[in-house]
Amino acid sequence: MEIGLVNVGDEFNEEFVLSEETHEGFMKVFKDRHPLHTSTKYANKYGFSSNVMHGNILNGYLSYFVGECFPLKQIMILAQDIKFSNPVYLGDKLLLVARVAAIHQSVSVVELSCRFTNSKAVTVAKAALSLRALTEMDVKEL
Amino acid sequence: MNKTLDELNKIFIDVVDEDDIVLNESTTAQDVEDWDSLNHIQFVVAIEKHFDIKFTSAEIASWQNVGAMVSAVEHKLS
Repeated sequence: MEIGLVNVGDEFNEEFVLSEETHEGFMKVFKDRHPLHTSTKYANKYGFSSNVMHGNILNGYLSYFVGECFPLKQIMILAQDIKFSNPVYLGDKLLLVARVAAIHQSVSVVELSCRFTNSKAVTVAKAALSLRALTEMDVKEL
Repeated sequence: MNKTLDELNKIFIDVVDEDDIVLNESTTAQDVEDWDSLNHIQFVVAIEKHFDIKFTSAEIASWQNVGAMVSAVEHKLS
């Protein structure tokens, strides 16, 4: 089974730069133009050095990682839990480290423990993902 | 309520996020609206993590009701 391609403890790294294109694209699609994300003056008022990027852009990076980078290809996300610990600003370079935390062979589930850090090695978010490796029966159902 | 059944009930409530569900040994997935195939997978994962046990896919396929799940857990823990 494809799930055998990964083992508990395996780690995968992926880098992202939070670009103007990503920021604008997110706002264009989801219409969230809250001033925290668009106004430096507003963000300064609440103690941030600049306008803060949408945390859910990081969920998009996780989606990209699972769909395009993770070795298991016949897979879907069952659950995703993310906690944001520090702000991300425009232009920040982020490193995603995803570690295989557990494998539940009985139900073909892989659990990933993920951490995003910025270029100063500060953790900006942690996430836990449950991925379901699709079986032949699942694929036939699709 | 059997201690294992009580723990499974708490785990299931956490998985489906519905506080008023009461499982008994004869409960099946058909009896609970939120017990769909994806929740079933997450239920199994949560049980394996909670009790630090592992099932096989054949064991899971043999479960007819919650009572069978209780027996399977208790067998793994014995």
